[in-house]
Amino acid sequence: MQPEKFFYDNKIVRNFGIATVLWGIAGMTIGLLIAVQLYYPGANMHNQYTTFGRIRPLHTNAVIFAFVGNAIFMGVYYSLQRLLKARMFSDKLSAIHFWGWQLIIVSALITLPLGITTSHEYAELEWPIDIAITIIWVVFGINMFGTIFKRRERHLYVAIWFYIATFVTIAVLHIVNSFEIPVTFWKSYMVYAGVQDALVQWWYGHNAVAFFLTTPYLGMMYYFLPKMANRPIYSYKLSILHFWALIFIYIWAGPHHLLYTTLPGWAQSLGVAFSIMLIAPSWGGMINGLLTLRGAWDKVRDDVVLKFMVVALTAYGMATFEGPMLSLKQVNAIAHFSDWIIAHVHVGALGWNGFLTFGILYWLIPRIYKTELYSKKLASFHFWIGTLGILFYVIPLYWAGFTQGLMLKEFTPEGMLKYPNFLETVLRIVPMWVTRSLGGCLYLTGVIVMAYNLTRTALQGKLLANEPAQAMPLEPVNTIARESGWHRRLERRPIQFMIAALLVILIGSFVELMPTLTISSNIPTIASVKPYTPLELQGRDLYIREGCLACHSQTVRPFRSETERYGEYSKAGEFVYDHPFLWGSERKGPDLARIGGKYPNAWHYNHLMDPRLMSPGSIMPDYNWLITQDLDTSTTKAKINAMRKIGVPYPAGYENIANRDLTTQADAIAADLSRDHIKVSGRKEIIAITAYLQRLGTDIKANKTTTK
Amino acid sequence: MFDQFVKDVSGKQLYLIFSLWIFLVFFVVVSILLFITKKQHADHMSDLPLHDNVIGSSNSSPQ
Repeated sequence: MQPEKFFYDNKIVRNFGIATVLWGIAGMTIGLLIAVQLYYPGANMHNQYTTFGRIRPLHTNAVIFAFVGNAIFMGVYYSLQRLLKARMFSDKLSAIHFWGWQLIIVSALITLPLGITTSHEYAELEWPIDIAITIIWVVFGINMFGTIFKRRERHLYVAIWFYIATFVTIAVLHIVNSFEIPVTFWKSYMVYAGVQDALVQWWYGHNAVAFFLTTPYLGMMYYFLPKMANRPIYSYKLSILHFWALIFIYIWAGPHHLLYTTLPGWAQSLGVAFSIMLIAPSWGGMINGLLTLRGAWDKVRDDVVLKFMVVALTAYGMATFEGPMLSLKQVNAIAHFSDWIIAHVHVGALGWNGFLTFGILYWLIPRIYKTELYSKKLASFHFWIGTLGILFYVIPLYWAGFTQGLMLKEFTPEGMLKYPNFLETVLRIVPMWVTRSLGGCLYLTGVIVMAYNLTRTALQGKLLANEPAQAMPLEPVNTIARESGWHRRLERRPIQFMIAALLVILIGSFVELMPTLTISSNIPTIASVKPYTPLELQGRDLYIREGCLACHSQTVRPFRSETERYGEYSKAGEFVYDHPFLWGSERKGPDLARIGGKYPNAWHYNHLMDPRLMSPGSIMPDYNWLITQDLDTSTTKAKINAMRKIGVPYPAGYENIANRDLTTQADAIAADLSRDHIKVSGRKEIIAITAYLQRLGTDIKANKTTTK
Repeated sequence: MFDQFVKDVSGKQLYLIFSLWIFLVFFVVVSILLFITKKQHADHMSDLPLHDNVIGSSNSSPQ
């Protein structure tokens, strides 16, 4: 049998590499902009399209799906071809994948600042883009499996197991979390409501971290680290345990994002238990990576690429130890909703994802351009300024989170809240936010230096778009000896492997999701909780558009410190008409679940116009455009119809008279404002959002009768 | 913590016990797989990234 000659496609790797760097700089710059807005609200340039609530999801989407996403595809397209000894299945599919993914990112760049969002964290993009993501993901899957089928290497290496698990799990997560009913072309409502929606969202949200930010990166670590160190992976057996245990356990851990909420207690406990167990496989992977460098630590001293990899693995170990600790209820009680979580996330994002990406770029770009890295000194500068950037970023935020978390819980000896004004706890941590933005600035500087270094590297070399290679073809399966060992046989059967991975992730998903989604007694109804009026519904959609939930939660946890501050703790039955749920995950401002009726309409008007008028020192941006922009009532009918379809009991035909009720309620609010010498038309957006805010928490105050 | 845990799971033990059993069975199965994996195969698989430029046959790993 003669070896076959073929060519690796390096052009697609280069393209994804360029996109990684460009989108990385864009996403991090937006991150820096919103970090500055936290202590200088005017940094939004008094423009609705650059205000915190709208561009925070742009930052998260840009760094997760644009920066990390392109880095994943760069690493997968490079390593997959070489591990399988085959060119990608189809150059056309590679190109469709690349340009399709960039178009999706551009659509996010346009729609999110416009306020077009589902409000589901890390899944904000509206339904037409969801469909586009599905199509492009399938294209990626066909291209990947097509390459696997035409491979010249019998067994699939551990990196490819992680790629397969990533593909199949992200597909499941994306589909289940995108069950929306379209209202207009750019507006939809989640099919799930309240606590069910929260469970689905955080099952998705946590596993987006697991299967987008972790498993593909572990796959890349298993390929690139041995290549960089020129040593085999420390333990293949450990990688088997690492892989199966990680994908099995990760899928259960989502409910730790919902501790002390109205999610059934058993689901919370399940999330905590599996989060603790998650330390074992996570650290198994980290140890496997670090021990790969056994006997090669002298190389780490001189090789900047290995330095990046070591810090990345260390950050992975820190983040995956801290995650389970944060899921302990006592720790979570202080840390949740605080900057502690932001610090935790960024140890993973900046350290693990960022540094592993940089290490791969520095190793890979010179190779595909057949040259040396332009400047090792600049790369070393990048490493040190990036490491300093991480430290300056996370340490102040840990400090801030711990400080604010404790302040919010502190009582005086007389039994009163020591810091009853939420704003006081915010102003205390502003210096930490300033330092954090300095850290972000250092980190971003390093990335810009890397972009320059890699550009010069590319300019001094020449892209080897089609890299020649040779390998023996695979013999037909029926001509080779039967292999012993179940896993060994599985390693050469990609479809069976994918089905096994799918079954493993579905077990946890079914056990965890199904009872809450199907057993009605999990959600006791409350007789006094009624659907939103048309004006409140429109106001709620404005609340979503402006991204208010980026800073304000809508769930009061059963702590005395919270019930004293906000009012009665939240009940599951309060959220049965909330499509989507708006509990939030961060408190830069106070919880709003019980804000209704607390202040007069005039307070809300003045507060939205200039928050510092009502709360001196407030960091909330102005929302002047709500006063000038007319409310779009042309969508009311479609919204009522859509809500009815997903179970909200609006009477038949109500959609035809909904705008009449909307006008009546809006005029009443405008008249009330007029009595406070505020002249504003009832047709303006500020009237609708005021109506919504005044409704929050009032149902349960009206009638506390609970029926099962 | 444990007071909270016991209170929360009251009446819903089935889910937790079922989940624990699934995990236990899964863990035992994977451990058995590890135990019966041959060293030659493990070494062959570990070396795959380092041999991606080698032309030789890769039809099967050493028995």
